[in-house]
Amino acid sequence: MSGVPGVGLGKGLAVTLKTLVSRSTTQQYPDVEPELPPRSRGVIALREENCTVCMLCSRECPDWCIYIDSHKEEVVVPGAARPRQRNVLDRFDIDFSLCMYCGICIEVCPFDALFWSPEFEYAEYDIRDLIHDKDRLGTWMETVPPPPSHDPNGEPSKEETNAAKKASAS
Amino acid sequence: MTTTRELTVGAGAGAQQLGADMVLNIGPQHPSTHGVLRLRLVLDGERVISAEPIVGYMHRGAEKLFEVRDYRQILVLTNRHDWLSAFSNELGAAMAVERLMGIEVPERAVWLRTALAEINRMLNHLMFLGSYPLEIGAITPVFYAFRERETLQAVMEEISGGRMHYMFNQVGGVKAEAPAGWTSRARDALGLVEKRLPDLDRLIRKNDIFLARTVGVGVLTAAQAAAYGASGPVARASGLDFDLRRDEPYLAYGSLDVPVVTRTAGDCHARFEVLLDQVYVSLDLARQCLDRLDTIKGPVNVRLPKVVKAPEGHTYAWTENPLGINGYYLVSRGDKTPWRMKLRTASYSNVQCLSTLLPGCLVPDLIAILGSMFFVVGDIDK
Repeated sequence: MSGVPGVGLGKGLAVTLKTLVSRSTTQQYPDVEPELPPRSRGVIALREENCTVCMLCSRECPDWCIYIDSHKEEVVVPGAARPRQRNVLDRFDIDFSLCMYCGICIEVCPFDALFWSPEFEYAEYDIRDLIHDKDRLGTWMETVPPPPSHDPNGEPSKEETNAAKKASAS
Repeated sequence: MTTTRELTVGAGAGAQQLGADMVLNIGPQHPSTHGVLRLRLVLDGERVISAEPIVGYMHRGAEKLFEVRDYRQILVLTNRHDWLSAFSNELGAAMAVERLMGIEVPERAVWLRTALAEINRMLNHLMFLGSYPLEIGAITPVFYAFRERETLQAVMEEISGGRMHYMFNQVGGVKAEAPAGWTSRARDALGLVEKRLPDLDRLIRKNDIFLARTVGVGVLTAAQAAAYGASGPVARASGLDFDLRRDEPYLAYGSLDVPVVTRTAGDCHARFEVLLDQVYVSLDLARQCLDRLDTIKGPVNVRLPKVVKAPEGHTYAWTENPLGINGYYLVSRGDKTPWRMKLRTASYSNVQCLSTLLPGCLVPDLIAILGSMFFVVGDIDK
């Protein structure tokens, strides 16, 4: 094909030589934490106080890996005619060995109880240990980063519009 | 009445059953098949007499699973049959549902989808540009290919949060608006890749050893490609000039000028070259999309009803996926879930060509041909 034999090889070696003298891009991972974008889907964090046990996440999950148990409690509200009923969350487990990291649970949650966190270091030696309960999911809440602001050409984020609404109402 | 039967006893008995030819199974677990494709070869010494691809070891019943998932959950699965072109896959499924429901996608979402689809195409191609030389003995190019992949993946990760299964499409648009400054960062990444891609090009395209292994090997004629329903880079390398982005534009491709890369040789090297040149084309297209995106204001998705139901009917949406034509035939009976969603995947048709390509070639060439068909086993088996 090419005229002189070996020209292709020579060109390739020139690339290798160029790379040899350029800076290395190795990331020192265990020593240096990687910088992950705020939208990274690492692990699902739970804010337990916000959960009303509506079961939407558990029903919408494509492989049904969220397990929820709850009981009802009566709350006596002073001044009200009858005591109110309230759902109390007993169990909220996510089986991360089944989870497909699609984010549907977070999307459907109507009360902002579920969030994505870029945290990813939760490997286990046994697959059964990948079921994480509400306490473990709760500990990831502090790793949830604030959402990035939107491109000015698009619509502002839900958080921004809500804040603007609140500001104008008060 | 009596039938006579000849029987050889003693030395040489069973020679007929054994045969002079050897039957060899390549796979389902074999490093060069990158996945669980099994090839049943009949060999005469080093020469392949017949080859039969046996598929299905990774069959996950995706089409059946679609029937019990609603239209949001389906995207999780369409994402995964061809894991190297996840974005383009979700796109096809979302487009089918949108068409059935009569949803018009906002303009900004259309351009954003086009940009991301092209970036996804580059990611897919770079994977094969790295792995194919690796399969036939060139170890270095994969590092250069993955360096570019990493740069582009950062762009995808920033907007969607995923590195592989983006889950960024939804019925009626995309999931979220791009973060502020994303378009300029994406443009920087494209510039970086454009600057560094010639490294990969110089390293392998005209490499003498690579040429010796690929030129004239595994020649697929245009007629054969058409007969097997091959599409994408594999078919275009044989001179089958067909690209849905130009011939039946979807998304914003109608207002873009899509140069279609073709070759006529139809050999392994032509297939590789088509892939490499398509990366340059995609770089250009993605940049045009980003530029347009900066001039369009508005939402990136439409408000959907609480329960998304496609009205009764059927539709067929096909897209030019990185590996070829990907089609979704969606039949709805008006429920939350499709009644049937048939998948047409590129890899499945492309791999069928192997039964005509392989006979006559030598075993070492088999690896070169197999790798150059650019398939993803999940895409074959669904």
